[in-house]
Amino acid sequence: MNLNLNGVDYLIIAIYFLFVVGIGFLLKKKIKTGNDFLMSNRSIPLWITSLAFISANLGAQEVLGMAANGAKYGLYTAHFYWLGAALAMVFLGVYMMPFYYGSKARSVPEYLKLRFDEKTRTFNAVSFAAMTVFSSGVSLYALAILMQTILGWDFNLSVWIAAGVVLIYIFLGGLTSAVYNEVLQFFLIVLGIAPLVFIGLDKAGGIDGIVQNVENAKLHLWKGMEHASTNPMGVDAFSLVFGLGFVLAFGYWCTDFLVVQRAMISKNLNAAQRTPLIATFPKMIMPAIVILPGIVLLALQNQFSGFDLPRNDAGDINYNMTLPLLLSKIYPNGILGVGLTALIASFMSGMAGNVTAFNTVWTYDIYQSHIKRNASEKHYLYVGKATTVVGILISIATAYLAKGFNSIMDLLQLVFSFVNAPLFATFFLGMFWKRTTGHGAFWGLLSGTAAAAITHGLTTAEGKGGWLGNMHEYYSGTSQAFNIAAISFIVCFVVTVLVSLFTKPRPNEQLVGLVYSLTPRQKDSSKVWYKNPFWLGMILLAITLVLNIIFF
Amino acid sequence: MNKLFDLRFVIGVFFLLVGIILLGYGLFASQPAAVNKWCGAIFMVFGIFMLLLSVRKPSE
Repeated sequence: MNLNLNGVDYLIIAIYFLFVVGIGFLLKKKIKTGNDFLMSNRSIPLWITSLAFISANLGAQEVLGMAANGAKYGLYTAHFYWLGAALAMVFLGVYMMPFYYGSKARSVPEYLKLRFDEKTRTFNAVSFAAMTVFSSGVSLYALAILMQTILGWDFNLSVWIAAGVVLIYIFLGGLTSAVYNEVLQFFLIVLGIAPLVFIGLDKAGGIDGIVQNVENAKLHLWKGMEHASTNPMGVDAFSLVFGLGFVLAFGYWCTDFLVVQRAMISKNLNAAQRTPLIATFPKMIMPAIVILPGIVLLALQNQFSGFDLPRNDAGDINYNMTLPLLLSKIYPNGILGVGLTALIASFMSGMAGNVTAFNTVWTYDIYQSHIKRNASEKHYLYVGKATTVVGILISIATAYLAKGFNSIMDLLQLVFSFVNAPLFATFFLGMFWKRTTGHGAFWGLLSGTAAAAITHGLTTAEGKGGWLGNMHEYYSGTSQAFNIAAISFIVCFVVTVLVSLFTKPRPNEQLVGLVYSLTPRQKDSSKVWYKNPFWLGMILLAITLVLNIIFF
Repeated sequence: MNKLFDLRFVIGVFFLLVGIILLGYGLFASQPAAVNKWCGAIFMVFGIFMLLLSVRKPSE
């Protein structure tokens, strides 16, 4: 597969690069302190934080990966939105944001320090910093490989240009620049891919064409969920609801600083609460942009030749090429440049989000906490900028490492998933059970991480895992991931409770503003429904329920 | 931090520019494609909408 770009396509790509760098230059003079650079001085309007919240998650994994999953699993993929995002985002907005924002913590690890102790914060900060900077490298590697495959561009050229552009606009404008660009990228991704869906859908014969040409088992959300062997995703309802809907979704949306940071830079608490809630509205319609192309491809494959996906070196179907294949078959030059720019934007958005989160955590939670405690704001501005350069350089090194040893990336992502899985148990107990202690949280996190690794070592799925033995084989890698998350959550929860019961809790007066039962309820005086987080949350849950019923 | 520029203006200019290019290419290319014309027009409308928003109701 090869996309043949012409001058107009290149012109559109060039204009995009010019604008993203231009945003950095426009912000350059406004950034005077470390707080400006790393926290946007908590001054960003609600509509921007909301779109940035969703866009920070709209990286390449989302855009390419969900289209791939759409082709592989069909409509079941929408569970990542209508089960695995909506509920968690509402919970974050209504219940957790008052603690993050109200405690004045500048990062998620800093909340752990305020609630528990320094060692729990450091454990989270170090693992998160490593995870984000390597994830940024993975984005860079994936972008360069994709450009090489579909455009024949040189790997080195793609890596250095993409990294260079991201470096310039973050270095100049810090988090604000990343957030502003995320909003531009959001509109570009939606408007750049939406025509592909309309044209593809029309070519496939509309909704009737989809229903007639795609196997019925891929057009439902819950059908066949009674057992893992009776649905294309290979998961059962319990592991889906508990593993994805609760542990993974709440773990990601409620504790991952990459997304939570976008809400923490809001102007006030009400805006911080409404950021994830307002972001949930576009999030719920995103399946039409990122999953539907995969389903459309299935319908087109049944009616036309030339829509077959290529195979990788192992001979397996390469589902990741779903979106590039549709771009090459459906878009003419001109709009092709927009579609390709949308893809590039998704990679850069993912990379920039990781780098800015890495900046903040490194500067505040590692450097300020352990290396230089009481320096000036100017000093932390320089550290933040230096960290940007270092973060980008590590990303580039990671991209080259991945090119040479592809399996290393799989290993890194696996290890990170072990660290992430139990995290929500720590936050949940910390915020809602005042008896939770720092020792409990720390040992719970360690035990949960170890449990995730051991479960992976003792189980297999699609030929992966089982490096300690094979006690159980899952129907799919997705099912294995959901179950690993569920087990690590339970282990972290139980160990945290047990250790907390045998260690001394902090006095109640030190936990005001950090724990639900000890924090005075803030009565929201706003009577307008769209300004009231609770009512917004209720409306979102009702819409989520309706979507699940319609596509049952 | 000083007052920031209005992001709606930047987004408006971007989409207006890309819309004009697409519409022009859709109308005058040797092998014009209808999708370029339609998308160009939609992008232009969206760009103008964002520009109007930034002019009519300044960001807080």
